[in-house]
Amino acid sequence: MDETHEDDCGCQEYNELSRRQFVGAAAGLSAAAIFPAWLPKVVMAKNFASTRDIIVSVFMRGGADGLSLCVPYGDANYYTSRSTIAIPRPGDAKGGVNLDGFFMFPQAMAGLMPAFTLKDLLVVHATGQLNVNRSHFDAQRFMEVGKPVDPNLVTGWLGRHLASIPPLKPDAPLRALGVAGGLQKTLVGAPKTLPIADPTNYTIGGAAATQAQRLGFMQSDYAVADEPLKSAALDATNTVNLLKTVNFAGYKTQNGAVYPSSSFGKALRSVAVLIKNDVGIEAAQVDVGGWDTHSAQDPIAGSMFRTMQDFSNSLAAFYADVIATGYNVTVVAVSEFGRNVRENGSAGTDHGRGTVMFSMGKGIAGGRVLTKNWPGLAKEQQEAGQDLKVTVDYKDILAEIVQNRLGNPNLGFVFPTWTPTMLGVTR
Amino acid sequence: MRTMTSEPHEPSNVPADTERSSRRSFVFFGALAATALLPGRARAQRPTRARRPSEPVSTDEFPMVHPNESVAAFAEWGTSTSRLVRRATMGVTPAEIARATQLGYQGYLNYQLNHTRINDDAVEAVVAAKWPLMSQTSDLLFAADSGLLRSQLQESTIYRAAFSQRQLYQRMVEFWSDHFNQDYDKVGYLLVADLRDVIRANALGKFPTLLKASAHSASMMLYLDQQTSRNTAPNQNYAREIMELHTLGVDGGYTQNDVAELSRVLTGWTFTGKGQFVFNPAIHDTGNKTVLGVSVTGTAGAAGINEGEQMLDVLVNHPSTARFIATKMLKWLLDPNPTDAQVTTVASVYKATGGDIKSMIRVILNDSWLPAAPMKFKRPFHFTASSLRSANPTVTTMATINAQLANMGHPIFSWDTPDGFPDKVEYWAGNIVPRWNYANALANLNSATTLAVDTKPYLAGSPAAAVDMVDLNFFGGEMPAVTRTALLTYIGAGTFNDARVREMLGLAIGANAYQWY
Repeated sequence: MDETHEDDCGCQEYNELSRRQFVGAAAGLSAAAIFPAWLPKVVMAKNFASTRDIIVSVFMRGGADGLSLCVPYGDANYYTSRSTIAIPRPGDAKGGVNLDGFFMFPQAMAGLMPAFTLKDLLVVHATGQLNVNRSHFDAQRFMEVGKPVDPNLVTGWLGRHLASIPPLKPDAPLRALGVAGGLQKTLVGAPKTLPIADPTNYTIGGAAATQAQRLGFMQSDYAVADEPLKSAALDATNTVNLLKTVNFAGYKTQNGAVYPSSSFGKALRSVAVLIKNDVGIEAAQVDVGGWDTHSAQDPIAGSMFRTMQDFSNSLAAFYADVIATGYNVTVVAVSEFGRNVRENGSAGTDHGRGTVMFSMGKGIAGGRVLTKNWPGLAKEQQEAGQDLKVTVDYKDILAEIVQNRLGNPNLGFVFPTWTPTMLGVTR
Repeated sequence: MRTMTSEPHEPSNVPADTERSSRRSFVFFGALAATALLPGRARAQRPTRARRPSEPVSTDEFPMVHPNESVAAFAEWGTSTSRLVRRATMGVTPAEIARATQLGYQGYLNYQLNHTRINDDAVEAVVAAKWPLMSQTSDLLFAADSGLLRSQLQESTIYRAAFSQRQLYQRMVEFWSDHFNQDYDKVGYLLVADLRDVIRANALGKFPTLLKASAHSASMMLYLDQQTSRNTAPNQNYAREIMELHTLGVDGGYTQNDVAELSRVLTGWTFTGKGQFVFNPAIHDTGNKTVLGVSVTGTAGAAGINEGEQMLDVLVNHPSTARFIATKMLKWLLDPNPTDAQVTTVASVYKATGGDIKSMIRVILNDSWLPAAPMKFKRPFHFTASSLRSANPTVTTMATINAQLANMGHPIFSWDTPDGFPDKVEYWAGNIVPRWNYANALANLNSATTLAVDTKPYLAGSPAAAVDMVDLNFFGGEMPAVTRTALLTYIGAGTFNDARVREMLGLAIGANAYQWY
């Protein structure tokens, strides 16, 4: 599947797609015909079009405590390290839900049990970034960029993925969106990609009679703007026209799915509507916050309980509504780092290292907690004597998904300088 | 207007190489992404690279671009004095241009720098009347309704930014509010005192004084969990951020061990009651520490606070702090990509003047650097303030404006991470539709209960005279020709009436030319 192509390759599907895309792009974008010299040679997979998954990428911002999200209750040091915030073992009234005899979900995460039981949800533990960084901003940046410690690379891994693969739907004006007020770094560099804080209300206001005229004014005014404004404005005007055709308010979920009314729940609902309306979305980046639990963490009934419950119930609704119903979608969820093994004096946890990540989809080999030899929580097993070790680089998980589920063989472009180890996370 | 040099498309007769690259096809798909990545200046200056098709792909092939855009100024931005007004204010007005023309470049810069000599009583009287919570102490604010307090804080801040006569001061209040970012959702009423006693009190003062005021602020303690830190279990949050974000910068030469040691030094720094900073010796770690190579002798009792005071002095006198603050101020006021020489120059002013902010600004905004600097993209807060200055509405309430600012992705005092709202065009450019909506909404406001934009002066003459008036009020008389033509066309394509003029004003505010300064 990784065979390379040139323009006159025998691949009819590819040729047709590229030609149509080019015509579409040229029609709208004659002024944007600036062809960069930096683009590396890329290869196009033969089977990129029909079986490719849409990706929903979730960033759990703030450094999520993996030891609460998926608790290693079989490791006694978990309990000795956390005298006030440890979650009791399965069987206790406040105890978690057993996953495999060693790990459990806290009750707050129970909403994800159906996806786990049906082997569509994978948990990866003791994962994160191999390079040590406990600053939110650096760690988030490097995770999103997909290459550590490079101050010059500004594109995100998902942005480069989209930039190195033809569109799923050749004439789609919007290939990806960040459900946010500003485009997340993960998506920077992606063609035809916008931040849309609320997809259900993306229009230009004012008198209906002059709306088209005013939109036209902006289209021509920004056609001579400097980048990145010019491209952003063009994508925006095309997307306004696209989203007019989507009925968000009247959307009926499947399988009785109920999205929480939180911003994360609403964002996933909007993404579901766009996927089911087949507008050509290939990726969505969604953020969920509340993970910086320096104090009063309380994963049993308090602050982190609510954060985890919203996280799991939102994803559970998306699972029932979209994934269980057969749409080709893969979800990934990452966080910039985990937290100290030992709780601090404020019944919270400070910035740590290893944490969990999640992936969900019919093409994901789930129903298990994947670890590369559980590193253990004893003092001498910890990184720098304080943290869960990072044993699996998150890029290994993402790279396998990019290649096998998103049909993009250009892993060297998506994750520069990284040679991924495939761990069998896709089916 | 300036035009960007477009790179020639790689010739289509590239011989097929052994790897059978599909590069040509690829660029079709990548074109948009690429145009979004390459800064104008980088495009113009980058030599044509003729990579032989048989060369292997190496990591050098990946985009090595500046993390900030550099966009050349509009050709119509003719005079250095008007460029200074654009940079030293939240937006041009006819009155401000006239003042600068009269005072000259240096005279106007001095005028704005000597902000306490500018009478701002009228604006403060409005703030006191419309947003009375802003005048209250923490003891009273403690009991105030949280939502009401948040809106008073946000609305009064926008109002001051737009209408204060002390415009350069307002630009720096915005700057330091992000530098010492705090999230109202976490700190609540304590933020009011911080913004008044830390940020506004020192925005054009000495950086060391500002930093130390922040380090004694209950709001900052709470925001970065300092009040939870104690000898038995230090919390590293504030110790890290004061070095990473407030002083040295992330590459300023500190280690994780320095973070841990500084967090021990700062144990006991906390607050009590309703926002009263206090040092609590009972939870202070009295052991010896070493931070940044400096030995700190553990001290028991009330004198234990001196360990932290000693380290604050080390931080403000550190060479990395001089460079970090110089770089950040240069990016804010001059150029998203300052040169190393510029950073060195401004850092030397920091060192020579003990971190005097005015002295640094005087050098940053000098009349040879600024006229050659690229344009900067207005963040939504700046854009909002600009438009209010230009449209000059009668203000009854600011609630509508505040809600619109949140729609544009810039709800002030609500950025949750301590790095503050970004100042990068890449971050904001995509969110253009909410700007157009705001522009149209503002121009159409004619309400005695919220805001009213008066269109009568625009309707007094011809359509062309109305566009001339837009030029003066919104563009300082330097409206790009392409904008003028488009506005004339729009106003000429309908009946010349109130509704049409308002739409035209909305288009002017939303136009590309109005997004830059």
